[in-house]
Amino acid sequence: MTQFITAFFSGSAHGAIYALVSMGLVLVWRGAGVVNFAQMGQAMFTTYIASQLIMHKSSYWIAFVIALLAGAILGAIVDFGLMRPLSARKNSALLNSESMRTTIPVIASLGVLGILKALAGIIWAGEERGFPSPVSTNGIKIGTTTLAFTAFDLFVIGVVLITLLLTTVFFTRTGMGLAMRASALNPEVTRLSGIRIKSVRTLSWAISGVASSLAGLLITPSTNLSPNTLDLLLIVGFTAAVIGGLTSLVGAVVGGFAIGYVISFVNVYSSPENVFLAILIFLMLMLFLRPQGIFGTKEVRRV
Amino acid sequence: MFSARRIWLKSTLIAALFALGLLILGKTLGAYNQTQLASVATLFIGVLSVTLLTGASGQISLGQGAIMAVGGYAAALLVLNLGFSIWLAFILAVVIAAIAGLFLGLAAARLTGPYLAGTTLVIALAIPTLANRFESTLGGDVGLSVDVGNPPMWLTKFLGDIGIEQWQLFVAIPFSALTLFGVLNLSRSRSGRVWRAIRDNEVAASLHGLNVARNKVIAFVCASGLAGLAGALYGFRGIVGPSVYPIDLSLALLTGAVIGGLRSISGALIGTIFIVFLPDLIGKITSTFKVSEQVSNYLPALVSGVLLLLTIVINPAGLATASTQLLKRRHRTK
Repeated sequence: MTQFITAFFSGSAHGAIYALVSMGLVLVWRGAGVVNFAQMGQAMFTTYIASQLIMHKSSYWIAFVIALLAGAILGAIVDFGLMRPLSARKNSALLNSESMRTTIPVIASLGVLGILKALAGIIWAGEERGFPSPVSTNGIKIGTTTLAFTAFDLFVIGVVLITLLLTTVFFTRTGMGLAMRASALNPEVTRLSGIRIKSVRTLSWAISGVASSLAGLLITPSTNLSPNTLDLLLIVGFTAAVIGGLTSLVGAVVGGFAIGYVISFVNVYSSPENVFLAILIFLMLMLFLRPQGIFGTKEVRRV
Repeated sequence: MFSARRIWLKSTLIAALFALGLLILGKTLGAYNQTQLASVATLFIGVLSVTLLTGASGQISLGQGAIMAVGGYAAALLVLNLGFSIWLAFILAVVIAAIAGLFLGLAAARLTGPYLAGTTLVIALAIPTLANRFESTLGGDVGLSVDVGNPPMWLTKFLGDIGIEQWQLFVAIPFSALTLFGVLNLSRSRSGRVWRAIRDNEVAASLHGLNVARNKVIAFVCASGLAGLAGALYGFRGIVGPSVYPIDLSLALLTGAVIGGLRSISGALIGTIFIVFLPDLIGKITSTFKVSEQVSNYLPALVSGVLLLLTIVINPAGLATASTQLLKRRHRTK
């Protein structure tokens, strides 16, 4: 029973972070039609910035806010400097078919990932370092028993729930959010009704940058920070997004928690070595049984 | 158009010239560059598998490195446990990797673009962990140590003394040339045309009565066979282990294929030479400028990343464009 509770708690806390990563992926996929494999590279880079600030005696919260801002800027730069010029060339020989129009941006985002990792290596020597958490990471005590649940875990779940609430309000109650939903649904009609879909796209990249930067800040206290530590998080976030259907934010969150429980139960009841295989099997099963995801809609191909 | 016989003749000629060129270079260059050339001959096969899969059939795989690992482990186990000769083991590695590719392809045919990329990325990370799962047979993190052995007597009589590095190169040359020959023919064959049709417009291809799913799987199987061969040759430089086939290897193959030209076979060769020799080139440049080790270690990754993006945005057809455009012009005047 204690094993079960341990697995459940750590699954909830990690699942919340996976949900953030997954939301970041969904935002860019819906807003710009790209699965951004550089996302956790961006998060790694902004977490290094935060870590650098903290090392130079800045308070955690100032570093926290600056890292989120840097995430937004980095996301916008990727769109502005790479994805926009790329979509301007969509009629070139290499990009004039549907299959290549989805494949080439993936390769481009991998290029961004490589560049960010190399830059982090050049600037910060690429060595592993710890990252602080704002609250205690010791188990909460009730009487004499120590739970496998920490104040930091509570903090993580709280932050993720607030983020979810804010994005929901943004998408349902604000004009800009409405414009983003419209442009995801039908870019051409949205453009014709006077909305600048290019700016809307850049905004999706920026918001996704913030979400992934947040995920980086929340996961590194338990994993440490190095140019490669967040690679695993991308895979997990991607699997979560696929479970949720890749287009639904609610699906992304549900998928994030689902994969969080899968991983922590495999960790507790089997062994950490089997985590990758479990993710792979889970992803494959999902793709075979329900490729459109739990909350996705089946794509209909018109001729 | 070309007649079938002319295509055969032409590709035989190109593959023979390729093998001869490598042989002559291998005889004249020093040991270090022989190793590098062996890497070129080996990774050329890997990059060609990407060219075939992504360039011709429009499917993306970030897991080619994992398929290379399948080929490497298969060959190593056959040699170590069953005492097979390396030649037979390499050929069987192709078959085994192709079977792995069949399963992967069956899943892949249902997936498009980003789904396929993500799934193959998970595979690229999951397969090397199997080495720890079955530590007693697969050797865990360390891997299995294997090499290409010694050159046979008749060859040393014929070519004089052959060093280890040179022999590695000589083992890779025939496989590399055969692959080149095969891919040249394949790209001009019915299969090649079918793949391109599916890549360019899946709906139109299926309306023309082409079995889209089956042909996608065939492309995956062919590409996986090649990756398996490349993986076997790559591992037999010394060790078949998880550290030999990292995720970066899959990405390097993709980078090479794109920078050289995703749709061209000559581009695959240019791209391979690029990824093999870039670290050397940058090392030469940085050694004259006195940069710290921290910078020079990461500079090749930075440069290849930047060049990858520049290629995609500015010159999507890759470095090989110039040569193919020349060829096209010549055809038009005929």
